[in-house]
Amino acid sequence: MNAALTPFVESMRVAAETRLPGSGLAWLDAARNAALQAFVQRGLPDTHNELWKYTTLRALSQRSFSVGNANAADLTVPQTLLPQIAADAARVVLVNGVFRTDLSILDKLPTGVELQPLSRVLRERPEPLRFLLGVHGDEDDGFTLLNRALAADGLILRVAAGAKVAAPLHIVHVGSPGESETAWHLRSLIELGEGSSLDIVEHHVGEAGIGHLANLVCEVNLRDRARLGWTVVQTAGSGTSLLRRSDCRLGEDAVLDFHALELGGKLARHELRVDLAGARSRFRSRGAFVLHDRQHADTEVLVTHRGRDTVSDSLWRGVADGRARGVAHGRILVLPGADGADGGFYNKNLLLSPDAEIDTRPALEIYADEVKANHGATVGQLDENVLFYLCSRGIPRELARRMLVRAFCAVTLDGVEPALLREYCESLLSAQLPETSA
Amino acid sequence: MATQPGEVEAALSRRYDAGFVTDIETHSLPLGLDEGTIRALSALKEEPEWMTEWRLKAYRHWLTMRQPDWAHVKLAPIDFQAISYYAAPKKKPKSLDEVDPELLKTYDKLGVPLHERAKLAGVAVDAVFDSVSVATTAQGQLAKAGVIFCSMSEAIRTHGDLVRQYLGSVVPQGDNFFAALNSAVFSDGSFVFIPKGVRCPMELSTYFRINAGHTGQFERTLIIAEEDAVVSYLEGCTAPMRDENQLHAAVVELVALARANIKYSTVQNWYPGDENGKGGIYNFVTKRGECRGDDSRITWTQVETGSAITWKYPSCVLRGDRSVGEFHSVALTNHYQQADTGTKMVHIGRDTKSKIVSKGISAGRSQNSYRGLVKVEKGAVNARNHTRCDSILIGKRCGSHTFPYMEVKNPTAIVEHEATTSKISDDQLFYCRSRGIGEEDAVSMIVDGFCKQVFRELPMEFAVEAKKLLEVSLEGAIG
Repeated sequence: MNAALTPFVESMRVAAETRLPGSGLAWLDAARNAALQAFVQRGLPDTHNELWKYTTLRALSQRSFSVGNANAADLTVPQTLLPQIAADAARVVLVNGVFRTDLSILDKLPTGVELQPLSRVLRERPEPLRFLLGVHGDEDDGFTLLNRALAADGLILRVAAGAKVAAPLHIVHVGSPGESETAWHLRSLIELGEGSSLDIVEHHVGEAGIGHLANLVCEVNLRDRARLGWTVVQTAGSGTSLLRRSDCRLGEDAVLDFHALELGGKLARHELRVDLAGARSRFRSRGAFVLHDRQHADTEVLVTHRGRDTVSDSLWRGVADGRARGVAHGRILVLPGADGADGGFYNKNLLLSPDAEIDTRPALEIYADEVKANHGATVGQLDENVLFYLCSRGIPRELARRMLVRAFCAVTLDGVEPALLREYCESLLSAQLPETSA
Repeated sequence: MATQPGEVEAALSRRYDAGFVTDIETHSLPLGLDEGTIRALSALKEEPEWMTEWRLKAYRHWLTMRQPDWAHVKLAPIDFQAISYYAAPKKKPKSLDEVDPELLKTYDKLGVPLHERAKLAGVAVDAVFDSVSVATTAQGQLAKAGVIFCSMSEAIRTHGDLVRQYLGSVVPQGDNFFAALNSAVFSDGSFVFIPKGVRCPMELSTYFRINAGHTGQFERTLIIAEEDAVVSYLEGCTAPMRDENQLHAAVVELVALARANIKYSTVQNWYPGDENGKGGIYNFVTKRGECRGDDSRITWTQVETGSAITWKYPSCVLRGDRSVGEFHSVALTNHYQQADTGTKMVHIGRDTKSKIVSKGISAGRSQNSYRGLVKVEKGAVNARNHTRCDSILIGKRCGSHTFPYMEVKNPTAIVEHEATTSKISDDQLFYCRSRGIGEEDAVSMIVDGFCKQVFRELPMEFAVEAKKLLEVSLEGAIG
């Protein structure tokens, strides 16, 4: 395939001609230019790429997007899209990829937390970001390259060593109607100093039917003994293509506690890479997707056990109805020398419609012997006996089904803090459950 | 881990038992591959025109293909022009009595009964030596029952219609790179036809032996079980110890019509290379069975201990309603061996069932991967699959990997996969040691227990052989 010919690649190439924040810096221009060239040459990832095996971008490659959104700074956002998840939460709002000071609540930012939009950092003090933006990763795919070439904003979030932040930080990505199909590329950095602790809630919201493309790349660095609680609630608009990649590195005794609830979007993919580099670092993830119509969700959890006595524990649930397709891939890689590693990935799925599809792929790659590694995956449907039991107790069949599907997914919400957020997630989950299906 | 020094030395000095070379005059085609080679090969085998054309079509397709690289193995590029595509002993025997005594000795040494012993053992054997079948035993007795069991070359000559009907119907010529190569240059193999309602009166078996240097072995096996037929087929293989890597790219096709039952067992013991990873066979095989009729069943059982690189996925296409596919596998790798093996279960018919049991053991510096696909197509109402996949690691430098793929398109299907990877439990080892059992024996016992579920599926003689092979292959792994 000649990548240069697809409308998508062409539209991105054209977009790169506009001036981005930080343009004019020699090293940044060079890095952006190299990334763009590499992208134009390579194009979007295809299904020969094992990590994209079940997510085809053929339709996307035929669409073109305008990049940057001149009026994103003025768009009004309905309050319903900005739910409150905790009484005292600081809030950051990005509308169509543009940081909005007016909607953000930053005066509540706890001590020890430093947060700035990338666009501002690039204007004021870009040099310290050279390590982040000036280099190329070995495992870049088309979207990562595109992000390197075109990222105009993002969040640079730093927590000082020893700071224990109690209140969660709420990050809201809003997709709002614009004049044409818009693409935005965000690049973020989250860095937690030694012994610090933070909870963030990342929220993707949007209005129905808008054909946005959001390409988010995030680097997370947890220094020794740092702890990050990270909850992603994804209720993006029904026309949105949401592509996320997060690279997390954990130092000694660091902890990453990840929750995800994927409900919205047309195409939602998250590639979550976790490098358990420090000894005794721990990664725990819980996630669920509930899909209907023609939704497509793809979750890739790629865990590398590098340090000694590292632990990973992942539990994911998926529900697909209508003509939806759900993809889950959990890979546990244990490198030589990572003795004492204990890795687990469990994925259960419910297939509710004859036109839906589930593709699941748990993988183990083990190069050390003092290791415990397990995975399990199932695809099935609701237990008829249990349904019958509920019906025999006078519960209508449809309600019984909803109860069971809800319970099936709700286990992944255990541990979501604060309580207000968990209740909010549960209500979102209930609202998403299939009304009727055979 | 501490071991008695004597034990280790004794173990290391133990060799690959089947690694000798038989000194026998062979006729072989010159190195290289082009259309001329294929025509020459076809002419040598006195094949009909359609067969030559069939091969050429495969060859032309092969030229357009690229060698795949997705498997979890590392290999040097293969020079397909440096291989001789045909090697055969010069003397052609008319019957078993005329078989070169040198050859008979070879098979005797390998423990394969070709003569009167075969009758006692109750097994019919087709012995394939390099590129040709040298003997097929018990043909008369089988013919009485209506069973055809002969070499593929003979089948092409004498049962051309049957071959033409089924050859390539499960694994088409262009299926994959190595299957296309095999379709172009396959030299021999076994052909089995069990007619309607016949239960094959004895176990059928093929013994493959690579002897000549600079050759590849490309055999093709075709087994057809008509309605209500039952057959059990065993396959064994060995090769001499050489420093070069030799290529073995076989294709096996199984066709099971309504209510037929095919059981295919393999004990693969190709030369694995020496302890430094030099030499050994590249075993790149395409094996696929199709449950074409309702209520049919195909069972694959494999014990993989040999080969420098194993790359194969015996598969079942469950087309008939209520058909059943099973896969039982033990794959053991030691030293520098690499294995990427598993299965594919494709559910197409209603109420189809499949079961996968895979046991992987890696030792030394070897890499052992399970790769499996369970695919449930839209019409496969009530399909069921259960996959159990366990691996143990012996030593710090080996790797063990699991890559299952599950693709489900029917909401009434139930697909389950579970896998574990761990090392041999210290508690179990300690228990055995405290009872006075040597470390090697203890490991061997534990591994044997680990594999029992699969060995149970093997015919008795094979189970004994498999157990022994495992012991030999593991020697030198502890320490």
